[in-house]
Amino acid sequence: MTLTAEDHQAAAAAIRATRARRARRSAIIKHFFLASCTLIMIYPLIWLFMSSLKPDNQIFGDLSLWPSAFQWNNYPEGWNGLYISFGTFFKNSAFVTILAVIGNVVSCSFAAYAFARLEFKGRTILFALMMMTLMIPYHVVLIPQYLLFLQAGWVNTYLPLIVPKFLAADAFFVFLMIQFFRQLPRDLDEAAMIDGCSPFKIYWAIIIPLSLPALATAAIFTFIYTWEDFLGPLIYLTDIHDYTVPLALRSFLAQDSVSQYGQMFAISVLSILPIILFFVFFQKFIIRGIAMSGLK
Amino acid sequence: MTMNRRKFLATTAATTGAAALSSVGTVALAQDRQIRHFWWGNPERDRRTFGVIDVFNGKHDDIEVIGETLGFGDYFQKLTTQVAGGNMPDVIQQGYGIIFEYIERGAILPLDEFVGNTLDVSNMDQSALDAGTFNGQLYAISIGANSHMALYNTEMYAAAGISAGDGFDPFGWTYDDVKRIGVEVAAANEGKYGTDDNTGNYQNFSDYIAQNGVEMFNADGEYQVTAELVIAWWELWKDIREAGATPAGKASAGLVANPPMAEWGVVSGNTATSYVWSNQLVGAQALVEAKLGAAMFPNTPAMVPGSVVQPSQFVCLTRDTVDAEAATTYMSAFVNDPDMTDILGLERGIPANSVARAALQSKLSESEAASVAFFDGIRGKTAQLPPPAPSGANEIEQTFQRAATGVLLDQDSIAESAANFVRQAAFIRRRAG
Amino acid sequence: MLKFLRKNGPGYLFLVPWFIGFIALALGPILVSLYLAFTKYDIFSPPEWIGLENFEFMFLYDDRFLNSLQVTFTFVFLSVPGKLVFALIVAMVLDKGIRGIGFYRALFYLPSILGGSIAVAILWRQLFDYDGIVNAVLAKVGIQGPYWLNDPDYALYTLIILAMWQFGSPMLIFLAGLRSISPELYEAAEMDGTSKFKQFYAITIPLLAPVIFFNLVLQMIDAFKTFSSAFVISGGSGAPVDSLNFITLYLYNEAFTFFRMGYASALAWVLLVIIAIFTGIAFYSSRYWVYYENERD
Repeated sequence: MTLTAEDHQAAAAAIRATRARRARRSAIIKHFFLASCTLIMIYPLIWLFMSSLKPDNQIFGDLSLWPSAFQWNNYPEGWNGLYISFGTFFKNSAFVTILAVIGNVVSCSFAAYAFARLEFKGRTILFALMMMTLMIPYHVVLIPQYLLFLQAGWVNTYLPLIVPKFLAADAFFVFLMIQFFRQLPRDLDEAAMIDGCSPFKIYWAIIIPLSLPALATAAIFTFIYTWEDFLGPLIYLTDIHDYTVPLALRSFLAQDSVSQYGQMFAISVLSILPIILFFVFFQKFIIRGIAMSGLK
Repeated sequence: MTMNRRKFLATTAATTGAAALSSVGTVALAQDRQIRHFWWGNPERDRRTFGVIDVFNGKHDDIEVIGETLGFGDYFQKLTTQVAGGNMPDVIQQGYGIIFEYIERGAILPLDEFVGNTLDVSNMDQSALDAGTFNGQLYAISIGANSHMALYNTEMYAAAGISAGDGFDPFGWTYDDVKRIGVEVAAANEGKYGTDDNTGNYQNFSDYIAQNGVEMFNADGEYQVTAELVIAWWELWKDIREAGATPAGKASAGLVANPPMAEWGVVSGNTATSYVWSNQLVGAQALVEAKLGAAMFPNTPAMVPGSVVQPSQFVCLTRDTVDAEAATTYMSAFVNDPDMTDILGLERGIPANSVARAALQSKLSESEAASVAFFDGIRGKTAQLPPPAPSGANEIEQTFQRAATGVLLDQDSIAESAANFVRQAAFIRRRAG
Repeated sequence: MLKFLRKNGPGYLFLVPWFIGFIALALGPILVSLYLAFTKYDIFSPPEWIGLENFEFMFLYDDRFLNSLQVTFTFVFLSVPGKLVFALIVAMVLDKGIRGIGFYRALFYLPSILGGSIAVAILWRQLFDYDGIVNAVLAKVGIQGPYWLNDPDYALYTLIILAMWQFGSPMLIFLAGLRSISPELYEAAEMDGTSKFKQFYAITIPLLAPVIFFNLVLQMIDAFKTFSSAFVISGGSGAPVDSLNFITLYLYNEAFTFFRMGYASALAWVLLVIIAIFTGIAFYSSRYWVYYENERD
């Protein structure tokens, strides 16, 4: 028995129809699932925003989400609430964070490429050493590291916050990229190698374009972690003009004097806006590798 | 195997490869007579202190003070890191509870050689100077006085027909009064309670120790508190709790270990009375709509004084100072120069300089005036300041809080917990000594 | 020699930045902390060599250490699987074409953005307050909720829930991983009439294995090192009654509150060895379930 072209078309149409029905049904289920999760997920932001509009004496002891009086003043007052305007702190944070993103993506993808795609002696032991840097609790290396940067004359500069990013110091990102690089078909490198491509050319022209989702993920995480990092700036920055946003934010609360909770919440809201913007922009790159599907 | 501090720093630097880095480093240009002042603060205190630094720098062409500030929760971690690095700021802020740890280990320098030269203490209260004196040497200049204070919600008290002078003496009430008033206030305020539960409040417990004529540590640094005293304290509050004056034990268990101000009973509105420090009055009042009243901590009928007046904050000179004369000149101006004390006001507590105090009298805000009135009220009713607590005192306090939480949760019997706690306290002192 | 360089050279070259960072920034401090583990070091004065004393005390006398191990292990074993399963489910739902996907992704990441900030601490303490929203919801279905944060029997669970709620980072990584699976594989399976479930464990799981493995190892390491959420929610002390006294929180207080940096370093190295053992087990097991496309033959 041979199938005619019509049979093929009919079968394909049937499959398409079933798929469309299934897709509609599953879309409804998905939206319902997402919508209910959304509620749980978005609650903190609503809470944060509402709290940022409350007068200080209503934030505690009153469980209602709705402010008794809308205190929009918390925003301008918080912005100028500290000795230095938050404009400076946002500028400082942006400076450190952008450099960190660039440094991290470049240096970690270098190291990851070596570990994932190149052969060399001592790979296993070097990889194990790299993983070890992830396992040690930060607080016990904090003082030796401080002594190191102090001797180098880097304390009270941004260098301790930025230079490590250019040296792939965060093994998390190296490991992340290794896992993605290892997934790429090896035939690609081999074909390119035979064509006489250098390892750098392979890295630049094949690995990087095919790994955009992984790189975008790394960029997003670096942005968030650096933007929110508090311990590094706490230890290494001493001049209030150099403070980053999270460090300055903590000045609003006092144990032995007046705390400005409303202003703290207002600036907290503002401080997550850059993260959301960066996220929304870069998550577009977490797409199906276009080149991938064409290669098979 | 031991080595000196410098050698340790050098060895560490070598191990960590600092030499390789320093060639790329940017070395800050050291200017003559530049000193750093580091304090824990809040927006208001920071503005005032930076203002004071500007005034000082304007008056002294040859000295430049640089201000550094962090929140209280972060201050000590950074300071500790700087201790390790040998680059503490010249002038630091310290609290009474922890300063001895720093003095004992040589991190803070004595000031005696500067007194009368760069440092003027002639207008300082003798009691404040005594509080900064350890082993016969002056180490610390008080920049604000502090004492234990019970904060009560005047509206909730009024609902039960209680106000200062009417059924309640804020400067001489007893634990029986706490129970009686607590029950009445609870009855008058639906769903609320009269007082926080102090089973785990170590500050109140330390008052109770003194009220019973016991010194917390003897001259050898041994912890003198007996299991019997601990049992009596916990039984006392169990009685108040069971009378219905406090929330259930489980509800209070979360408030034992230095809760955030926002969760104090009097701030959350859950209870009408919380037991805190006098310099917290202004901050707490800002979070509460009802007017707060100030009272002493309660006492036993014998009225042996238990609370003390102690500096809430000191300024000290560190061993890492680059210019002790410039630093002490600044410290002196900080407590004496009227242009500066005027800006500082009462923000750090009541000044120990009598001249500065008098000058501020006319410029007080409402809650500041309440603080001043409180200090007038407790005059003559406070105890002698005990010698500073030895190392480990802080850890004993935390151990007490853990044991008390177990008692509040009804997990452990009072007698057993008390015996355990006393045993652990003795061990902590042995380990620290 | 030339042959050695030709074979290994490119690898070393690409590793240069990392290697400089490792030698200059990471290795030294790690070695110093190892040395400190055998000393008494109060930070103010130089460390004093005391041999194995710290470890002796830890294992023979220190009940708080044993308790902190128990807290940490409970947290790791409950929070990591929960978080990963949740993250994978959400990532799979988000992976399929759906309108407004960028919006949902950002939304689902929100809780993680708030991280271990003070704002989260205040929020969490309000949510799980005895009169808070969580108990109000439980009351609706007839359950009298406990004193979550005051009762040592429950406090840890609020942190586990917090960890699971902040599933954004593994979710995003899963999503990136799902995006690198060729859609044609699913189309072919669909043509063959393969069930969705079979597609899941015959295509998705094997192809996602490297990413699952990554998330498992990293989340586990992170969970063992949990610090900031425990710190802010317990006010730094690990209260109530040490039920939130994670080993990192314990060593932090030993180092910076009680000035026992030597003992803290010893605690840190014990934790490191524990993490290394579990990571080693994970790597060993990965031979049997993680396959990489390029290494399959």
